Amino acid sequence: MKAFGYVAAKDVGHAVALLGEHGARAKVLAGGTDLLVELKFAAHGLKIVVDISRLAELKGISIIDEGLRIGALATHADIMRSPIIGDMFPALADAAHSIGAVQTRNLGTLGGNLITCVPSMDSGPTLMALDAQVTYADGRGHSQVPLAELFVAPRKTSLGPDGLLTAIIIPKANFAKPAAFQKFGLRKGQALALVNAAAAFWVDQDKNSFVQPRIALGAVAPTVIRAPRAEAFLEGKAITDEVMAEAGRIAATEAKPISDFRASAGYRRDLIAVLTKRALQSAYARASNKVRESVP
Amino acid sequence: MIDVTIVVNGETRRASVPPETTLLKLLRENFSLTGAKLGCDVGDCGACTVIVDGMAVNSCLMLAGQANGRSVTTIEGLATRDRLHPIQKAFEDNGALQCGFCGPGAIMATKALFDENSDPNVKDIRDALSGSLCRCTGYTKMIEAVQDAARILRAEAAAKPRQLELSK
Amino acid sequence: MADEPKVLERERPVVDEALLRANTDQNLPAVARRESVPDTLVPQARQQTGAVGQRVTRTDARQHGLGQTRYIDDLSLPRMLYARIKRAGIASARIKRIDTSAAEAMPGVMAVLVGSEIPVNSFGPMLQDQPVLADPIVRHAGDGVAAVAAVTEQIANEALEKIVVEYEPLPAVFDPVEAMRDDAHKVHAPASNIYISKVIRKGDVAKGFAKSDHVFEGRFSTQMVEHAPIEPHAAIADWDANGRLTVWATNGRITLARSDLARTLMLPLNRIRAIGTIVGGSFGGKNEISQEPVLALLSKKTGRPVKGVFTRTEEFIATTTRHPFVMEYKTGVTKDGRILARSVQLTLDGGAYCSWTETALGKACILAAGPYRIDNIHCEARAIYTNKTMAGAFRGFGAPQVCFAYESQMDDIAKALGIDPLEIRLRNVFAEGSPSPTGQVLHSVVVKESLLQAAARFGWEARS
Repeated sequence: MKAFGYVAAKDVGHAVALLGEHGARAKVLAGGTDLLVELKFAAHGLKIVVDISRLAELKGISIIDEGLRIGALATHADIMRSPIIGDMFPALADAAHSIGAVQTRNLGTLGGNLITCVPSMDSGPTLMALDAQVTYADGRGHSQVPLAELFVAPRKTSLGPDGLLTAIIIPKANFAKPAAFQKFGLRKGQALALVNAAAAFWVDQDKNSFVQPRIALGAVAPTVIRAPRAEAFLEGKAITDEVMAEAGRIAATEAKPISDFRASAGYRRDLIAVLTKRALQSAYARASNKVRESVP
Repeated sequence: MIDVTIVVNGETRRASVPPETTLLKLLRENFSLTGAKLGCDVGDCGACTVIVDGMAVNSCLMLAGQANGRSVTTIEGLATRDRLHPIQKAFEDNGALQCGFCGPGAIMATKALFDENSDPNVKDIRDALSGSLCRCTGYTKMIEAVQDAARILRAEAAAKPRQLELSK
Repeated sequence: MADEPKVLERERPVVDEALLRANTDQNLPAVARRESVPDTLVPQARQQTGAVGQRVTRTDARQHGLGQTRYIDDLSLPRMLYARIKRAGIASARIKRIDTSAAEAMPGVMAVLVGSEIPVNSFGPMLQDQPVLADPIVRHAGDGVAAVAAVTEQIANEALEKIVVEYEPLPAVFDPVEAMRDDAHKVHAPASNIYISKVIRKGDVAKGFAKSDHVFEGRFSTQMVEHAPIEPHAAIADWDANGRLTVWATNGRITLARSDLARTLMLPLNRIRAIGTIVGGSFGGKNEISQEPVLALLSKKTGRPVKGVFTRTEEFIATTTRHPFVMEYKTGVTKDGRILARSVQLTLDGGAYCSWTETALGKACILAAGPYRIDNIHCEARAIYTNKTMAGAFRGFGAPQVCFAYESQMDDIAKALGIDPLEIRLRNVFAEGSPSPTGQVLHSVVVKESLLQAAARFGWEARS
């Protein structure tokens, strides 16, 4: 790697100040699993790496008034091990588990995965399907926006050069909302997603129908996207395999997958339909289990 | 240059290195611990796997500064003068080491697995080894070695005298 | 004759009885006792020796498990420098100009090397058609065009960026079938792109096809594969004051290595010592020199040992690969699925340089018909230059590719004729004494028994 400077930030304010000072010539080091690869291959022109990996205020997974707060420095391993997440949002743990391998999950952070902002990110779809918000700090103070606003284009977020992602928040209204994540890659491990998909919905117990369905797709557009027409189709409909399959077909038309050396656009569209259906089925199975569990 | 202090295999080591130095380079060149290997330098092959504060990590993806103040275990820290670590013995006995280049990484990944789970099933083992690529063995012998080593370690733990009982 | 002492008895030394007692003071093991030597040492065919079936541990496994094995990159010599090679990044070009002055001026850069400085700039196991560093023609994007030796790898990497190379792009050809056309760009102009061919003929395929009840044709192709050993190619070169070169290398064929080093460096063979160390995986990819002459010359220039370790990217673009094959199979069978004739055409995509292509082509030819009793065989194979990474030795040496083709076609034939895929193979497979396509009489043939045992073990009969 080419030479660069290194500072271990003392706190969020210190990190933001350094980022403000050096702008595009500073980069944030959280887990380092994406950053170091980038630095090894790109002519980076980097002046300084700002190591935030020790900042306690960015760690932790806890319930706050607003909802569930996942610190930006929560690693994928932390998410997999969290009892709160295991109980309320097992789909998040599934998504974390699908990333890389043990070694990368021990270092890689949720914040880092979101900020690297590649269309195929595995952490994005489930969070989007759960209406997640993100908080960040910059020279102007602290702000909070819906997750979708963070993603602008491949490898480009809405954060300015001095912006630092601090936490991800899932609203209280969505606690334990049945959700599922599906990923298809060319290998079972250490694989990029050709397509990934997440689905979340409540079940109207009386009518057995979809309530507030959400579908999010990754790797099939410049950023992670929702599938609003598929969602509108599902709202209020009876939950059947046929309806779920149809939602998958609609979702496939809402995406803009590319053809590349891994797969053709047509293959990806097929995958969208299948993975969406499976995510819906899997979320429904979780919803049913919860009902069974609560029945004495 | 940055100064780093790291406890490596129980010993406090210090170095003054350029900030862009990875933990892998620090271990191999500054501390002469060449057990961890450079296979791909991008965290795909796992040949550089060491244990940092109890977690298996790719040392090629960690900066020396990130490791500052932490505790690192490498392959050189497993065996004692008196005996091989059961994982090393099991890998040897089961033919899980051919060219040996992926060995230290896979063995450390296994150690990290056992530190968390003393009775892993095959799925757990596959998951723990999924970051250790091997071009020689086809992995079957490795999985058998890990199962063997787990058995031996559980038996050793069970055989330890029950201190609480004795002190009553 | 019976009175003549057996050779082995006569040569056995008389053992000093004193040595047979263990020296317990120094904990020395006792000298091994005399064991009786068996009358005959010639193994009989189809008879197991006592060694077979014994559980054995690899002798190097102990070191591997401890992490004590010393691979090349674990070795270090005093004052050692680090070398990096600049890769062309363009598949086909003429080098118009190389300017290394900015790199040479960098602090920490001890020497620079370009192709024109190589005494004999060609090597190869069969055809010496590969340059050490391209000069002036670049034939694939991984061709090395210049090299540096510096006090750190970081400086060497930065120095590469400062080397300016001006290329005149040339036409390029990437598809082997296209490359066979007369008007295709010639990778090694003026020579044809078809650089090796072989034909194996047995019997009369025309007659065989005429007698067949059905003739099946198929086209099969396989892709380029990289060995991807976990250990990258690595080497260290060092000269002593008497002008002798020592090279430690991840090279499995050190005799050939010495020979290629002698040729490229114009050095007598007895001035070259090649040490092939424990290797972290090769699978055929480390069967010839690559960077060794570069390191040797950089070492000569600097008077210091020089180490080079390939990056993972270089492993893919600048080391040999498995040949992609395009295979046309024409097979004539009776209605019972007995093969009467097989005609095969193999086109090997050899990439930019010959490497071990002749061996791969020869083996592929011999094995192309498959392990089946076929009286009439015609196999024609040719290797083609393309502007891609060179193909060379990779375990199997042509066998895996043709196996994919003939076994795929066997399944096609079985399906078309409504014959069980295992049964059709049992009807055709080699037996004791069968001749190979090249006439070799085969013994210890257990194909049928193996297939039946395997089928029993994995429950072939139980399939739905």
